Amino acid sequence: MISMKKSIHFRLILTLSFIWFAFAGNSCKKETDYVYGVTDVDLYPPGADKPNVKSTTEFISIAYSDIFGTTIPQDKLIKLQLAYSAFGDQKLIEELVVRNFLNQPANAIPTQAEMSANPEQFIKDTYIKFFSRKPDEYEFYYFKTTLAQDPALTPELVYYAMMTSNEYRYY
Amino acid sequence: MKRRSFIKKAGIATAGVFSVPYILPSGRLFAATGSRIADHVVLCLFAGGVRNLESIQKIEGNLMPNTLLGNETVHPQIAAGMSALPLPFSAKLQTQGTLFKEFRYAAGSTGHFNAHSSVLTGRYNLVDVNLKQRPAYPTIFEYYRKHNSPSMSALNAWWISNSLGPYPALNYSDYPGYGAAFGANYFQPKSIISESSYEVMGNPKNFSTSELEKIKKIRTFCDNNFAKSYTSGDAGVTNPMEDAQRLEQFLKDSYTDALAGLYDNPWNSPSGMSGDMFNVFSAEKIIERFQPELLVVNMQDVDVGHTNFTSYCDNMRKADYAVAHLWQAIQSTPGMSNNTVMIVVPEHGRNEVPNTVLDAYGRYALDHTNDAMSREIFCLLVGPPGKIVQNQVISSIQGQTIDVVPSIAKILGFYSEIPGGMLEGMPLEQAFA
Repeated sequence: MISMKKSIHFRLILTLSFIWFAFAGNSCKKETDYVYGVTDVDLYPPGADKPNVKSTTEFISIAYSDIFGTTIPQDKLIKLQLAYSAFGDQKLIEELVVRNFLNQPANAIPTQAEMSANPEQFIKDTYIKFFSRKPDEYEFYYFKTTLAQDPALTPELVYYAMMTSNEYRYY
Repeated sequence: MKRRSFIKKAGIATAGVFSVPYILPSGRLFAATGSRIADHVVLCLFAGGVRNLESIQKIEGNLMPNTLLGNETVHPQIAAGMSALPLPFSAKLQTQGTLFKEFRYAAGSTGHFNAHSSVLTGRYNLVDVNLKQRPAYPTIFEYYRKHNSPSMSALNAWWISNSLGPYPALNYSDYPGYGAAFGANYFQPKSIISESSYEVMGNPKNFSTSELEKIKKIRTFCDNNFAKSYTSGDAGVTNPMEDAQRLEQFLKDSYTDALAGLYDNPWNSPSGMSGDMFNVFSAEKIIERFQPELLVVNMQDVDVGHTNFTSYCDNMRKADYAVAHLWQAIQSTPGMSNNTVMIVVPEHGRNEVPNTVLDAYGRYALDHTNDAMSREIFCLLVGPPGKIVQNQVISSIQGQTIDVVPSIAKILGFYSEIPGGMLEGMPLEQAFA
């Protein structure tokens, strides 16, 4: 009989202990605060994903902004649109437009010294300016190597090559 | 026996060489095309809306003394409104070819663009086309560049229009299998050989050969990393690099000439150069530089007829002089002289009943709104004896504007190459010797 009572007491204590641990013990554990963050990333479309060809107005005004760093004056835009419409080979006209821009003293093309001082930044800036994206590793390597190997390669030549490339005609 | 067998076999083999089609490097099946009548065609659209009454019927006098025989003086009521022009050329165009006096623009709206489209595509548009909408069917430029054998570059095909608006769109169609890849070099001289265009286009940066090599290398790298190619279609009609360089040089030379005053009044016309004259003069410069096989140039100054009848008549005289000058330029161009057929045709006529706009000489102006008279025009084919019937006048109703494309195709020898059902008209056989 006594041993039976002891057994009941033991079970009761065990059960109460379990309940106490289950509720009271847990409340004493310190909570961990998780803070989630996002690293800043510049988002640019991939090069191959540019389905639309620039219109005449878009091409002229974007090319002007890219070379002069300012908006094209309205009268100049109208004159260029007129010449553009009056000639069938638009590729040729666009090349002439860009070369006329390049030949104007007010252009905002980096100097050779600026490019040479930080070629990596020049490559990144140029890709973003003309193609609205960063160069991939291969492109970056190509330009870095090409600039290093050819001291006669000027920013102007790089600008003209990229502005007359296929990718520059699309967005 | 052996000799006879040899000759027979050799004969069959030789015949095979001439008759069996072969594959060109381009992959196109080459079959012998019809022989050419001439190696060059110049189509001059005497456009803007010209009535037969004032042109070939000469009711106001002979307003086309360079084209038509006859010394009828200009009607006294409007004579004072006529500009001083250089003396007419001695040889009348009419005597150097075949004149269809009752040609027709038989169907479709008598609007300039619609009627131009009919001449250039060989089809009538029975539904009004939207302005700036490319033709539904291929143009003569596309037929020429696609079906002529061998294929010719765009330097051999030119479309020179005297105004912009919808006219650049007449270069090529959206028809499957044709399009920009077969279009012409389009040129609108009034806009591009101008002070404003020179200001923005006339001073391009020039690169040395070694610089161009560097540019090409970088551009090729960039292009290889991009999926799309900016060529014919998106870029209009594109020329290969060598041809593009020739075009650029032509533009530069034109600017140089214009700056030197050579475009001011090159024909020494006492009343100066009209828009039509300037356009034709520019076409002559292209002829002189490139000797194209196909060139189309239009005039439109007579369209002043909507508001001023006397100026309409005056501008017809200027257009007449321009056409004759063009023919003279062709005859003084090596390679084109005696090897060119020129076709002169208005796109449509003008109404029988005038509108209510009165000019300073007491004449009412003329619109063109689909009446019977606005469909009555003339057509003149001039060319060397032995190729074009000389001094022939066809006074009955024969020929339509849709016959111009087949006629050009026949002259240049590729008519039989155009797929059946594409053209509605027929070559103007009566004119061919």
